[in-house]
Amino acid sequence: MRIDYKISDKFDFKIFIPVLILTIIGLAAVYSSTLNNPQATDNFERQLLFTLVAYVVFFITYALPTNTFKLISGPSYIFALLLLVVVLIAGKRVSGAKSWLAFGSIGFQPSEFAKIATILLLANFLTRLNNNIDSFKDILISLMIGFIPVGLIMLEPDMGTSFIFISFILIILFWKGISLLGLFVVLSPGFVAIASLFGSVPFIASLVVVLVVLFFFKRDLFFNGSVFAINLAAGFFTDNLYNALSPHQQARIKSFIDPMSDPLGSGYNSIQAMVAIGSGGLFGKGYLQGNQTQLQYIPEQWTDFIYCAIGEEFGFIGAMTVLSLFLIIFIRLLNIASTSKDEFLSIVVIGIFGVYFTHFLINVGMVIGILPIIGVPLPFVSYGGSSMLLNMFMLGIVLNIFRTRKNYA
Amino acid sequence: MNNSRVLIIIFAVFMLVTILVVRLANIQLIKSEEYSYYAIQQQTDVEKIEADFGLIYDRENNLLVYNRNDVTFYADLAMLPLSKRELIAEKFSKVIGKPKSFFLNLLKGKKGTITLAKKVTSEQLKSLGNLKIQGLYYKDDPTRINHYGNLASHLLGYINKEHRPVSGVTEFFRKEIEGIDGSRKIVKNAIGELVSIEEDETQPAIPGSDLVLTINKDYQSVLEEELRKGLEKFKAQSATGIIMNPNTGEILALANIDDYDPNFYWQYNDFQRRNRAITDTYEPGSTFKPFTLAALLDKKLCSPAENLYLENGTYTFNNVKIRDTHPHKYLNVSEIIEQSSNIGIAKLAQRISDDEFYKYLRGFGFGNLTSVQLPGEAAGKIKKPNDWSKISKAYMSFGYEISVTPLQLITAFSALINGGILYEPQLLLKRINHNGELEFEFEPKPVRRVVSEQTSVLMKNILRGVVKNGTGKNADVEFISIGGKTGTSQKLVDGSYSKAQYNSSFIGFFPVEDPQIVCLILFNSPDVGKYGGLVAAPVFKSVAARIIEKDFNKFEKYIDESFKQKLLFTSLEKEKSFFDSDQIKIKEVKLPADKRMPDLINCSARDAMNALTRMGIKYKIKGSGIVVNQSIEPGSKISSNEICILNCAEVTITGVSVY
Repeated sequence: MRIDYKISDKFDFKIFIPVLILTIIGLAAVYSSTLNNPQATDNFERQLLFTLVAYVVFFITYALPTNTFKLISGPSYIFALLLLVVVLIAGKRVSGAKSWLAFGSIGFQPSEFAKIATILLLANFLTRLNNNIDSFKDILISLMIGFIPVGLIMLEPDMGTSFIFISFILIILFWKGISLLGLFVVLSPGFVAIASLFGSVPFIASLVVVLVVLFFFKRDLFFNGSVFAINLAAGFFTDNLYNALSPHQQARIKSFIDPMSDPLGSGYNSIQAMVAIGSGGLFGKGYLQGNQTQLQYIPEQWTDFIYCAIGEEFGFIGAMTVLSLFLIIFIRLLNIASTSKDEFLSIVVIGIFGVYFTHFLINVGMVIGILPIIGVPLPFVSYGGSSMLLNMFMLGIVLNIFRTRKNYA
Repeated sequence: MNNSRVLIIIFAVFMLVTILVVRLANIQLIKSEEYSYYAIQQQTDVEKIEADFGLIYDRENNLLVYNRNDVTFYADLAMLPLSKRELIAEKFSKVIGKPKSFFLNLLKGKKGTITLAKKVTSEQLKSLGNLKIQGLYYKDDPTRINHYGNLASHLLGYINKEHRPVSGVTEFFRKEIEGIDGSRKIVKNAIGELVSIEEDETQPAIPGSDLVLTINKDYQSVLEEELRKGLEKFKAQSATGIIMNPNTGEILALANIDDYDPNFYWQYNDFQRRNRAITDTYEPGSTFKPFTLAALLDKKLCSPAENLYLENGTYTFNNVKIRDTHPHKYLNVSEIIEQSSNIGIAKLAQRISDDEFYKYLRGFGFGNLTSVQLPGEAAGKIKKPNDWSKISKAYMSFGYEISVTPLQLITAFSALINGGILYEPQLLLKRINHNGELEFEFEPKPVRRVVSEQTSVLMKNILRGVVKNGTGKNADVEFISIGGKTGTSQKLVDGSYSKAQYNSSFIGFFPVEDPQIVCLILFNSPDVGKYGGLVAAPVFKSVAARIIEKDFNKFEKYIDESFKQKLLFTSLEKEKSFFDSDQIKIKEVKLPADKRMPDLINCSARDAMNALTRMGIKYKIKGSGIVVNQSIEPGSKISSNEICILNCAEVTITGVSVY
């Protein structure tokens, strides 16, 4: 094999440049959205510092020996679980969820670190020599590795992050080659659960769909019966879970189903975000000129609602630029994942892709009003140290894998 | 590896991103205008800018009514930090003077907006200092101030709490005085705080026009003081007085006692607030006799020297007994008026036909509105000849069976002594808009000639006789010639004439040779004394004497040399006290002949701006109200590039805000 000494062979600019642009756009947007807000005067400086630190972390990670990641997968997973337990005991409660560990003035979210730890261990488990993804036992162990942290995070309770976990676990399983039936068994309870939130008619309809699909797979009655029972249980469980939720979380789900039902309450953020983006038009109102942003109509816009500041001030063109940059990153990640010769590294990359993509999809989806407000930041763009640090760390892993891809021939 | 699954994931990514793009395009391109409209709707507000009401001056440019820049404080209890409430209560209690517990009580709640303090003056606002606390804010709440309280209350009127002009010229000239409200577009943030004002979408309010009235503040206060004194002395129910210029119809003063303070109008009853001089009618009694006589003289149906038999005090006419207070055997026509003989005037009245008499009375304006510039005027009542009984004309000749308003009577009386022409009574001397442009200037409005000039001369002499020799002696002053007529009429109480309640009046004028002032004094039901000659005439005399003192220059030429020294001395005394009083006198700008700096101190900022613009002097105004300081000395030469800085203040030396 010919060895290419060009720097582009060792360093994937096709991912790095879009990420660099996104972090710059993010800093600009954080500056704009905190400019006139007395509660967030030093947020821009903090974010600038976080970003610089995150880039340092990125380059360190990039330079590590690639086999480090496999070696640390077990210990880091245990460490992550430990942190998740500690946060439940000694964490700081921020807007309803006990998800922060405070070290002086610096806060850290263990659930961020748990994402990559879970990916690493899951990748490690799935690439053991005798692993069979379609065996019931291995699926179960995989799900356990994934769902122990999910359970702990749900206790915080942080629904957004739990949903991210479920999503990337499914993407990893899918990538690993789980059969359609296995995927169906894993997915269908979630499908029924979501349907049940919309009322009894969608719930029953979703059960009918499950029955039809089961009939299509032509398995025995016992199998069909148990899968259907699991689905039925998932639906009722969701209903109970919904009733057990705190009122403000219920209100958020309700206001997603109909934002105008409570325009000054839970639907407020959603409406104001859409008004901000919508009023931006094609070219936007100009940097620092967005009235919705500058007059603070969107609470804490610099975190989860940063995308609407971009949409308002840079318009459709700005919003599409951000989407395109993400699309480049996703395609590139998929490309690295599919061309990686090492299955462990391939699964790690696809897991990281899953984290980025679900964050992106949920964040943009909720800001433009097609998904409920579940508090998920936009990678590389939103204000927030833990998330920036973790995203750049994961990017470091990806580029590290790219650097050494030819060593694993 | 996993090529098909890569494709599935890529397909899914593209599908999902496409959904986002479609949604974005829908929001940002298709529905953009809808969202922009919504954004503007919630971010901006159109606020009304209330126009200032015009100011009211007297004819000497004394400011009578102005607006004070008060503010009203509000507190949004949901926003107001609990920790600051103590501090707020303490400050407000210190400045406004209510107990601290009062404010703490108001600030108790946790929701809603409360009115913390109304009508906080700009001085109080200053003493409150910089109170920038979230949830505490104030709004302009201008207060209409009648500077002299009760003075001319019935003429001036007030602005009620709903900002509507009520009563007086304020109501009559409501359109002119109200101005046109403006509007401005404000940008507000999510919690409703004002962030900025869109200057180019601001429609400034156009202030109402200023009114300069024909009244003279000094005359008015003299009249009110004397009426008040008289009311107390004679224990009357109420009193009315009017002073007019008989040659033009200008009302110089008009007062009803009891009156009210327009600044606290809500504390008074309807009677106190009513301008009885135009709304209430009464039977004038003997003050009406001159009109009867004038008709006869004008028709040459009698002569002043003609003698008449007066039946020794009791005259039975058509089965009704007409009596005189003092029985006489013979009097000539002049003496009939001097002694106020009912029998004499009743007998004389029989010489004129009913229609002719009626025509004259209508000619004097009785039974018609005077069209004075005040709301709520009554027309009075005069029966048509067809409805007269056999004794009606006799009764009407001495002022019964006819009802008039005091204003009607003095207006008609003016025609009697000014050469025979009836003028419409007027109150407005000038109206000046906010740019300083003259919108209206007084002009006498002659209505018609009522009697001939000769008749008027005869009447003046006869009325002089009343004061010199007859019932009006108590109205006479030594230094100027006064003419007039007393009146004592029984009041109609429940349809019959009361023996206990009278209207005692005196209507007089001076100087007789060239009448400048006509004045009516009317006391309603005096307990002490009943005759107009005893009750109203002395009050008239005091009013006349004090007016002449106050306005000495005007009357100097009519005054005997021998009295001048004495009067000059007293009026100089008055002059001194005049400067001590707390009146607001806004100077008019006097432009110097050459291009020199005018003296602008104590001129209104508006006038000063006009003058400087006209002279081509660059200027800068700091503050508003009255000029207190000018950077270029008056009288100094002006170089073309120099900018004159005018410091203005709403606080004058007397500590009263004016704007």
